[in-house]
Amino acid sequence: MLEILIYGAVSSAIYAMLAVGFTLIFGVARILNLAHGAFYALGAYAAYVFTSLLHWPLFIAAPLAVLSVALFGVLMERFLVRPLRYSQLAVLMITLSVSLAVEQGLFITFGSEYRNVPSFVAEKVSIGGVDIGGQRLLALIAGVLVLLLLWLFIQRTRLGAAILAVSQDPEAAQYMGIPTNRIFSVVMAISAGTAALAGVLVSPFLTVQPTMGLLPMVKAFAIVIVGGLGSIPGSILAALLLGYSETIVAYLISSSWTELVSLVAVVITLMIKPSGLLGRRAAF
Amino acid sequence: MPLLEVKDLSVRYGKALAVEQVSVTVDKGELVGVLGPNGAGKTTLLKAISRAIGSTGTLKFKGQTLERLPPYDVVARGICHCPEGRRLFPELSVLKNLQLGAYLRSNKAEIGEDLERVFSLFPVLKERQQQQSSTLSGGEQQMVAIGRAMMGRPELLLLDEPSVGIAPRLKGLIFDAIEKIRKDGTAILIVEQDATATLRIADRVYVLEHGRTVREGRAKDLAGDEYIRQVYLGV
Repeated sequence: MLEILIYGAVSSAIYAMLAVGFTLIFGVARILNLAHGAFYALGAYAAYVFTSLLHWPLFIAAPLAVLSVALFGVLMERFLVRPLRYSQLAVLMITLSVSLAVEQGLFITFGSEYRNVPSFVAEKVSIGGVDIGGQRLLALIAGVLVLLLLWLFIQRTRLGAAILAVSQDPEAAQYMGIPTNRIFSVVMAISAGTAALAGVLVSPFLTVQPTMGLLPMVKAFAIVIVGGLGSIPGSILAALLLGYSETIVAYLISSSWTELVSLVAVVITLMIKPSGLLGRRAAF
Repeated sequence: MPLLEVKDLSVRYGKALAVEQVSVTVDKGELVGVLGPNGAGKTTLLKAISRAIGSTGTLKFKGQTLERLPPYDVVARGICHCPEGRRLFPELSVLKNLQLGAYLRSNKAEIGEDLERVFSLFPVLKERQQQQSSTLSGGEQQMVAIGRAMMGRPELLLLDEPSVGIAPRLKGLIFDAIEKIRKDGTAILIVEQDATATLRIADRVYVLEHGRTVREGRAKDLAGDEYIRQVYLGV
């Protein structure tokens, strides 16, 4: 039981980190970013390059990996997405193209074989008799911290208030002197950065390979549909639901059934409450 | 030199010409009204001045051109826009909405003074400052919208139909507040459909129809104009 509780919390924290960034950029800029999984993969590969190839210390490599991907996200928004923002379909297409281009770029540069990233914390920790890898525990703590800091940033800072204003009415926000395009860049940096951080944190215990962004992208999508597109609390709630459901399914049935959980959750949500758990309007 | 100088301004929405060769001036401390029916181009004119939409023609504020500036730079120069339909941030509190009006300012003491000034203009907002703005009545929301624009400490306030959709009792309060704001030295360009109230409080008035200026002059003179009396005052 305690094992399910702990491992479910780890999965939920990673999913929440992924989904919050995905829903944030949609909620503020109405960008449905299909390249979100690519940010996660780039984060893991950046960690691999900085630690395993360049042999930089982890405490430098990890933040640098996150910052590099955040910068990549900002450049993508500025030069590829912004000129097409008038059309949601065009945004979907361009972000899908970026996702595929990143995947192919990783294939060409690193090949298809799995890569290893050293653990930040190698030791195992015992909680109530349950052994858990230190790296997984770090991912859980980092996930909770990131969500808490993000909440504080949005609720307590001037820039956070501007993000909320732009998400609710971008035109009115302009009349307050809020530079909306700059806000979109900031939000894209946060979105790409949190996805990259999730990639960095899981890279020591999951496989680092070029297609690793696809499944998390599907999970992030499923979470925001279940939670309500654009709703951050909804995403956190759905991440908890999905994280624990998958862990329970893995323990009671088999880990090969876990990928079905998110798809079943999406179908049930779309049938019963298309706006999601905490969404205000139908997502689709 | 006028505070605001709009000369031969035109705005197109695709092939449709929404505003055609309109010229407007506002002097320091002046209250200027723009009257006209729905679709006359009044809101478009204000949006063009705020640079929320593109336009051709001359746009000058304190002698400096506004053309090609992004909207946030127009606010930084001293023009604040209270848009049509109030456009509050519905999930934020009254206080957060008002504070966002001062987004470009950093002097906390001055912001505090201006907040008190807004509360003295609209005392009900002080009581409701922690309330979510979407739960307020239409009139109260309009007070927040005007107060929020005032939090930018503007030299020129653009007001877009502040009396639309609010109870007659609150309309009087809104127009009284607008007069107070002008008396305190802020120039105002107000777009309205309520001709009687606008002609009462304005120094000068422009009348737009189909995107063109059809009348302009001192409010007192236009109040006696036969066309205005028949079409806008219904007498």
